[in-house]
Amino acid sequence: MPTHRFIKSLTVVTAVILCTAFIPIPAKQFAKINLPYSKAGLSKQQAAAHLLNRFSFGATPGEIDAVVAMGLEQWLQQQMLASMPEDEVNKRLSVGYEALALTNEQTVNTYVRPDQLLLIAAKKGLANRDSVKLAANTPEYRSQIKFLMDSLGLKPMTELHKQLVNQKVIRAAYSNNQLQEVLTDFWFNHFNVSLTKNQSQQFVLTYERDAIRPNVLSSFSKLLEATAKHPAILAYLDNALSVSNDNNLGNPRLAALAQQRLNKQMDDMEQDSTKKNQAKLMKQIANAKKNEGLNENYAREIMELHTLGVDGGYTQQDVTEVARAFTGWTIYPISDYGGGSNQRKLLERVGVSTLEKRGFIFQDDFMFRADKHDAKEKNILGEKFNAGGGYDEGMRVLSVLSSHPSTAAFICKKIATRFVTDTPSTDLLKKMTATYISSKGDIKSILLTMVEHVDFWKSATKHDKVKSPFELVISAVRATHADVKDPFQVFNWSTKMGQRFYYYQAPTGFPDKATYWINTGSLLSRMNFGLAFATQKIPGVQLNWAQLNNNHEPESIENALTVFSAILLPERNQSENIQRLLPLVKDVNIGAKITAAAQQNTSSEMVSTDMLQMEEPKRLNARASKSQERKALSKKTRQVLEMPYTAGTNSPIAQVAGIIIGSPEFQRK
Amino acid sequence: MTNRRAFMKSGAMALFATGFAGGLPSFLARAADSHKLSVNYKKGKILVCLFQRGAMDGLMTVAPYADMQFKAARPNLYMSPAVTEGKLFDLDGRFGLHPALDQLFPYFTEKRMAIVHGVGSPNNTRSHFDAQDYMESGTPFNKGTASGWLNRAVGLMGHDATPFRAVSMTSAMPRSFYGDNESLSISNLQDFAIQMRGNPMAANLAAKSFEELYDQTSNGLLNRAGKESFDAIKMLNVNTIKNYKPAEGIVYPASPLGNSLKQIAILIKMNVGLEVAFAESGGWDTHFNQGTANGAFARNLKDFGDCIAAFWKDLGAYQDDVTLMTMTEFGRTVHQNGTGGTDHGRASCLFVLGNDVQGGTVYNNIQSLAKDALEDGRDLPVTTDFRSVFSAVANTHLKINNNNVLFPTWNGTPLKLMKA
Repeated sequence: MPTHRFIKSLTVVTAVILCTAFIPIPAKQFAKINLPYSKAGLSKQQAAAHLLNRFSFGATPGEIDAVVAMGLEQWLQQQMLASMPEDEVNKRLSVGYEALALTNEQTVNTYVRPDQLLLIAAKKGLANRDSVKLAANTPEYRSQIKFLMDSLGLKPMTELHKQLVNQKVIRAAYSNNQLQEVLTDFWFNHFNVSLTKNQSQQFVLTYERDAIRPNVLSSFSKLLEATAKHPAILAYLDNALSVSNDNNLGNPRLAALAQQRLNKQMDDMEQDSTKKNQAKLMKQIANAKKNEGLNENYAREIMELHTLGVDGGYTQQDVTEVARAFTGWTIYPISDYGGGSNQRKLLERVGVSTLEKRGFIFQDDFMFRADKHDAKEKNILGEKFNAGGGYDEGMRVLSVLSSHPSTAAFICKKIATRFVTDTPSTDLLKKMTATYISSKGDIKSILLTMVEHVDFWKSATKHDKVKSPFELVISAVRATHADVKDPFQVFNWSTKMGQRFYYYQAPTGFPDKATYWINTGSLLSRMNFGLAFATQKIPGVQLNWAQLNNNHEPESIENALTVFSAILLPERNQSENIQRLLPLVKDVNIGAKITAAAQQNTSSEMVSTDMLQMEEPKRLNARASKSQERKALSKKTRQVLEMPYTAGTNSPIAQVAGIIIGSPEFQRK
Repeated sequence: MTNRRAFMKSGAMALFATGFAGGLPSFLARAADSHKLSVNYKKGKILVCLFQRGAMDGLMTVAPYADMQFKAARPNLYMSPAVTEGKLFDLDGRFGLHPALDQLFPYFTEKRMAIVHGVGSPNNTRSHFDAQDYMESGTPFNKGTASGWLNRAVGLMGHDATPFRAVSMTSAMPRSFYGDNESLSISNLQDFAIQMRGNPMAANLAAKSFEELYDQTSNGLLNRAGKESFDAIKMLNVNTIKNYKPAEGIVYPASPLGNSLKQIAILIKMNVGLEVAFAESGGWDTHFNQGTANGAFARNLKDFGDCIAAFWKDLGAYQDDVTLMTMTEFGRTVHQNGTGGTDHGRASCLFVLGNDVQGGTVYNNIQSLAKDALEDGRDLPVTTDFRSVFSAVANTHLKINNNNVLFPTWNGTPLKLMKA
């Protein structure tokens, strides 16, 4: 066990002492909160539905009544405490989810990247590099690799990805602490990292687990610090590689030679008018070279995307200065493979206490390398940072950023956009921002100010927020009490509809606006999802329509439509939807039953395709009265029509429900 | 005025061609009515971008065979036009084209294909992820750019479009397409329908219900997107796709790239309003035993060349409307490594194919490959910014002129490789 683990507890203690000064002011008593839903013309029932729409991944059957019964304020309180038992989630995650409990160190040494695997294979002498690649697709190679992995206890990277993806689906669908899960989704997206980047993929799971989820209801500054120090962000935005330019480790002779050559080339080109363009490019490259050690990516994105916002009042100079303050913020070498183990041996040889005396900091897997830090004076957002600040400089930058008024405004707008409307009012934003500042970024307090504003409730009637694909699939699962045995299938559908979660490449995260989610291709996929889900064509996702209606057989297809509309879209105005669907539903009913009967009696004479064609004109005549309709039908057809509405996976109910799930109403929050 | 009429006419023809029955699709009607419809809109210009993920070895694809420093750096990988050294196609006495690109070589001699060599990004990252990200966002020093360059290109065209204006043949949206302008990512065009497995009658009924519901919804966005979806289904006609036969004698390689390019050809021939298409090709990260005239690299390159050639021939009369441009995130080391391959480098090369390309030339600013002339003493230096090529193609072929928006933070000038 590496020595740095022993001092972990020590640094935590100091961190706690340091942090007490920034502890946010606690949210006010819940009993006193005032939810002005009646001012927005909502009944208590409708208000509960709205609350569940925004603060959960969708209401489960009967949940609205339960929230009304316990009181909306109490429900909010319970969700903000986020301490409800998680029996269902734990049960579902008990088998096949080994990765969820691993540390970063265990993860990187278990789920190896393909490039690491190749190196290990070569190193172990089981295969030399050449033969490995040459034989890459032969069965011999695969069995050899499998043997190697088994003997070393290694597992494929795809397995890590899969467990990460699956646990998100399970938690969102079945967690009792819904607000916590909704906020985990929100803050992860705000501080986005991606599985698409080779260097960060091993850390995405622990990032969500350790940096995001435990802090989503605490304070913004805690989230900011936790993300800043996590290996996932350090790798994804390259800060792990950012070192002071004064520590030039390259070959100085070669560097000087290259510089000479470059200068001469650029001089030559400046003279030649046809090569001005090239000269410009060369200059840019030379400039980048000069700053080779310094990497500004994290510095830029922490201000543009995480805190101040693009118009938050910082300059390029600030970006460079912040980058200098964060030089040396990196990841402890935890990998047993590649260069990591050598680096670790070196650190261990020198010893933690010696290194700490030199200004190194070790916290979990975060490491501050004093020897790579730019020790000179800095000037950031108008504040002077004296030379030699070391690790504390980065901490001070985090504090300056999280308490900046631009950050307050930027964060509150993002929260309001997610939970209220794509276009929040200035008054709402003003009040939320004021709370951000007075509570020092306490997330619960900001959320309370939001729900105490009438705008939050007014948005209930507009339904202008469109569900993201992930929200759509999970709300369908929740609304139907579906049993998701294979969560990866749910992920595949989300991908099809445009949200391949955990794989969004850019640090911006998925855009939070309806126009991003809704376009021709994605909308068709949403409709197809509704049909596939309701008719149980998604492998590993099961549901029981009859049970949802307490096994009451609806008396007519009209009644079935009313009942299941209310189950799937509770507290919405159904009448228009039902009116429009009614004539179509009759066709669906007959069609579905004929198909079901055909499937049940493939050899029977009861149903023939002839009958289907003969009856078609009649079926489509929706205006014919019921008795006329029935009289006109043959005896055989009547038998078919008397089958239960819920029979088979292609039952009329399933098809109608599929249409409701794919309908515009179900896409809206 | 004439242009607008031409657009409507060809739009209507497209409907007949694809068996569309019923009224004018709403997006066409909208386009026709719209005052935004630009006078200089010229229907039918299409840019096809092909991203080679993994960093293609530009020095093996288009080899500076005449440079003896190059030969010395790659004793086992060196090729030249000599029969004993791999039989490259000699392009200009200095550069030679890999024999696996035999299907593309004629386009170079016909001057329809240009090669740009020494292309890359001013950001010297050698990480696949970062370099692809920078190339696709078009901002080599800024990761937070929300949009991709092709999405911005679409936005700059200044006219209304069909849902098929920007199509990526990938399962997820590529970084190049990120952004506010509508684009479609789909790996199989046959998915473009309301589907219920094994139950076409139910699918038809469901489609009818959906169409009605979306037609009536009070939410403007869902209403419009719904209408467009159903018009698009009718326009695309899955049966035509299923039964598609390429032009006489053309066989697409049975590879993912072949499949992507075939589907792009279908969209072009169906006249559904495609203007920017995107496809990917993988397997270019050749650290080990890349081979020379034969081997892993040659096989991949053969597929690449054969797919493009099949696509180009299949286009037939549509060739005049189309420009195809390839790209890769960076090149590979000048020296071979210890395992018969090459490692991550800097500049690579790319191809531009089309009838408005000034082809038959290897555009380059490459000097000697002597060690002290290399970037960091090891890599082919980047001497042409990728944006000077991308902008040139977009300016001429797509008639987009606002390079400040297309490539913010770049103030270079486009390379003159297109016919004026």
